[in-house]
Amino acid sequence: MVKRGKAALTICSTAFKSLGHAQASALGKKDLPIAVMPHPFGLRKRDEVRAIAEKCADDIAALVTKAGSK
Amino acid sequence: MTTSSPAATFEALDDLDAINKLYRERRWSDGLPIVPPTEARVARMLACTRRKRDEVIAILPPGFGEATVERIAINAVMAGCDPECLPVLIAATDAVAQAQFNIQGIEATTNPAAVWLVLNGPIVRQLGVNATFNCLGQGTWANATLGRAIRLILQNIGGALPGDMDRATQGQPAKYTFCCGENEAQSPWAPLHVERGFALEASTVTVVGAEGTLNLNTHSKEAGELLRVIAESMAHPTSNEYCHGGEPWIVFAPEHADILKAGGLTKRDIKQRLWELTKMPARQLSVKEILRAQASRSDEYGEIKPDTMLSISRSPDDIWFIVAGGPGTHSVYVPCFGNSRAVTREIT
Repeated sequence: MVKRGKAALTICSTAFKSLGHAQASALGKKDLPIAVMPHPFGLRKRDEVRAIAEKCADDIAALVTKAGSK
Repeated sequence: MTTSSPAATFEALDDLDAINKLYRERRWSDGLPIVPPTEARVARMLACTRRKRDEVIAILPPGFGEATVERIAINAVMAGCDPECLPVLIAATDAVAQAQFNIQGIEATTNPAAVWLVLNGPIVRQLGVNATFNCLGQGTWANATLGRAIRLILQNIGGALPGDMDRATQGQPAKYTFCCGENEAQSPWAPLHVERGFALEASTVTVVGAEGTLNLNTHSKEAGELLRVIAESMAHPTSNEYCHGGEPWIVFAPEHADILKAGGLTKRDIKQRLWELTKMPARQLSVKEILRAQASRSDEYGEIKPDTMLSISRSPDDIWFIVAGGPGTHSVYVPCFGNSRAVTREIT
């Protein structure tokens, strides 16, 4: 997507953050925006998950806006 | 043909301990000592293929490294392979890079997914690959070094270092090495590579995304009962196969294969019966796994309810088996990663 000139990002949990950055770097897109959520979700209550999702949505909006303005 | 730049070289002391220290520090090994890939050793390895050393065989995720013939040869030397093994590893590298194998998923997953190499055809005898006693265990140079080499290729070229891009929670011993031949001489059926569309006289390597081995020890002498107890051993609620519709594998002991043959069963009959016998009510899965199955398999089942009978694979044809091992009443269940399909390539 980035190579086609589109603003793009990926989403992952903290356990996969290093993988996301390493793969982005390997693909020549070291500065690919990555929205990161806490890991794991399994024991979280519904309200907590909702709060995480809302925070992540804000992060995604900010990252896409920033990437799109470059 | 795509080509790439030559592998880097560096000067090192002519001291095995110092070289292994360097490889340990740079994380170029699997945790075991390596054979130093000197230019002379790599040249001997390359002499066993007609391919050019700079030919790119595959781009290997998760690091998207270019697996050239030369880089495959370097890792083969490090693993201790005989030079004649190189064509097997070139074919295996090509196989793991095929989309249906899903090497990205296999390498980056938290699951304990290993790459199992199954060899068929004349190459088994030519390289001395063990297909009989202890063929999945220690003791045979070709099995041990071929399995180790594909791991080093995936790690050093593909970039799948544990804790970095290899995210396995625990991994499994088979990630060091997992390779065997099919015991074609003692199989009552056509061998795997023929079933998968290759000529009997062809040599092939099949790569399988394998999650482990489970001993299936039964002294049953009746084909129907034998399949029932094997099926009940394969069906377990924490299996990836039921979530995704997998591709389970079995290594039948020659004695078990003979019982099934004596029972009048063809390969297709065995697959069909296992597929039916391994069905499991969704209620045996955890609530979370039912949701995962729903996400993966709604095209098959629509809404999955507690009494929905989930199959281990989408089709009986997704169940595969070989005959291997020596005397004894032990077959082996090799559960699959789930989102992966085996790939077979001819060794040329």
